[in-house]
Amino acid sequence: MAKFREQCHYSSVLDSGYKILPFSFTSLDENRYVATNVAGEYIVIERNDLYDFAQHKLDNASEIYNDLKSKHFLYDDDSNVAIDLLALKQRTKLRRLSDFTGLHMFVVSLRCEHSCPYCQVSRANNDAMKAKFDMTQDVADKALAMTFRSPSPAIKVEFQGGESLLNFDIIKYIVQKAKQINETEQRDLQFVIATNLALVEEDILEFCKEHNILISTSLDGPKELHNKNRPRPGNNSYEKTIEGIEKCREILGPERVSALMTTTKESISQPIEIIDEYIAQKFNGIFLRPLSPYGFAIKTKFFRAYGFQEWLDFYFEGLEYIIELNKNGFFFIEQYAATILSKMLTPYATGYVDLMSPAGIGIGAVIYNYDGDVYASDEGRMLAEMDDKSFRLGNVKENTYEEIFTSETLLDAIEESYTGSVPMCSECAFEVYCGSDPVYHHATQKDFVGHKPSSEFCGRNMSIFKRLIDMMEADAQVKEVFYSWVRM
Amino acid sequence: MSSEGTATVSFDSSVFDLDTVKKSAYKFSDLVSFDIRTSKNEIVCELTLLDKKTTDSLENIVKKLKNEILDQDLRKKIFDETEIVRNVILAHVFSNTGLQDG
Ligand code: SF4
Repeated sequence: MAKFREQCHYSSVLDSGYKILPFSFTSLDENRYVATNVAGEYIVIERNDLYDFAQHKLDNASEIYNDLKSKHFLYDDDSNVAIDLLALKQRTKLRRLSDFTGLHMFVVSLRCEHSCPYCQVSRANNDAMKAKFDMTQDVADKALAMTFRSPSPAIKVEFQGGESLLNFDIIKYIVQKAKQINETEQRDLQFVIATNLALVEEDILEFCKEHNILISTSLDGPKELHNKNRPRPGNNSYEKTIEGIEKCREILGPERVSALMTTTKESISQPIEIIDEYIAQKFNGIFLRPLSPYGFAIKTKFFRAYGFQEWLDFYFEGLEYIIELNKNGFFFIEQYAATILSKMLTPYATGYVDLMSPAGIGIGAVIYNYDGDVYASDEGRMLAEMDDKSFRLGNVKENTYEEIFTSETLLDAIEESYTGSVPMCSECAFEVYCGSDPVYHHATQKDFVGHKPSSEFCGRNMSIFKRLIDMMEADAQVKEVFYSWVRM
Repeated sequence: MSSEGTATVSFDSSVFDLDTVKKSAYKFSDLVSFDIRTSKNEIVCELTLLDKKTTDSLENIVKKLKNEILDQDLRKKIFDETEIVRNVILAHVFSNTGLQDG
């Protein structure tokens, strides 16, 4: 193709001008803006260019004109397929909505042998508690029947606790029964056990191997930090976890175990040490998570133990460190950034519930509690532990699938919080990457929508969106690193 | 016009509409409270700092508010101008999903 088109081409376009395609914009700094279109493509544009563009004053031979054109912010005589392309891209992003609930979490026991101070739900591990707080076969059967009513072609069943392995019998029962049902259903069925691994034994792992079950564990950082965050009798949570991870890798394979961390007041000054621990344990990434403001955490000193600015400092220090590692040839991912980047750099939506709008609750994930209560999200059940049952959708023993998934509770929360119609979000350039998280806003502001100017959810995400874009704009090597994370 | 903790700014109502001003004000509602009035050809905003210890000065907030009003005005222009295309795109997105009427 010739580098330049014939001059007559430009003059004909100039005659008819250009048309603007729908987009939103938000300031990035004093002079620059981020503009995004409905498909999630973004462009960084100078203030003057933005105003010229909107007033149809852009020179069609300029670089910015061609950038805006190639990213579908404008079309002219030469590019009127832009509308079809945008629609196709938006459709790809919205596909998960028609798939409906794919993640089904089963709380098999609330008992736990740890006593982590930030934990919202666990109960002491003894026989009296077992009778009261373990899932029964009857509840499991009904929850499974509901799981398979979801139209999603891919179903992930995740076992949670308390400590889920304390009720391993019901896990075995559910896995076998789900596989049996799936012989006729033919879904893409996956299982994950969330466990602290303290109780893991070879026979448990052999079962996991036979049924292709993934393990998700908790690792908060180096030994001292982890054991401080996660007390248990013997003060050996770290040793047990590391031993467990090794056993999992040996029996299930190196890729079959992943870890999650929780950021506490003790962690906030140690991002590098935490990342180094993950590297030492041969993980290829980390999810730097803030402590969620639900359940016990919000009512205790733990949630307010650090402010959101402190968390952001922790996060960015960690992120910069990880980027440097990658630049030096060591592949390692920060998973929260990778989730956002895949929205920014690929046409695909992510299934990460917190960053979904319409809200991921009920649509992206649903949780069946040990007693049969159904919640719109894990955080919703944690709130219920604090006697706030706003996100309880019903009970598998009393309600039908239709009653649960069309309950006013769910529909109101999803509808009210939909960012496309929320003040500030509806015109925010980052709305295409963001989520509505009605549970968070209900927990912190007693309102599904939330007052976004003072919402820490908004403040945190907006800062991260801006920083990620700023980093890519400033350094092509960072952009390459980010692309390598989303190509995974 | 400003005194300690409060400031008043006015906008020409033949240039900006009330909705644009209100939307812009909302963005700063974590920092200042607003009293918005219309009089003859003006939209008058009285800003009061919610917390005098806030790191942003009132002067700065007023400056940002003025910029935001320009941005909001531009958003409105783009929104109006792209309305038809937006609907065409949505029609394409939802075609063949069985969700549309008729
Ligand atoms: S929550 Fe904040 S960052 Fe997210 S879309 Fe709304 S205004 Fe934008």
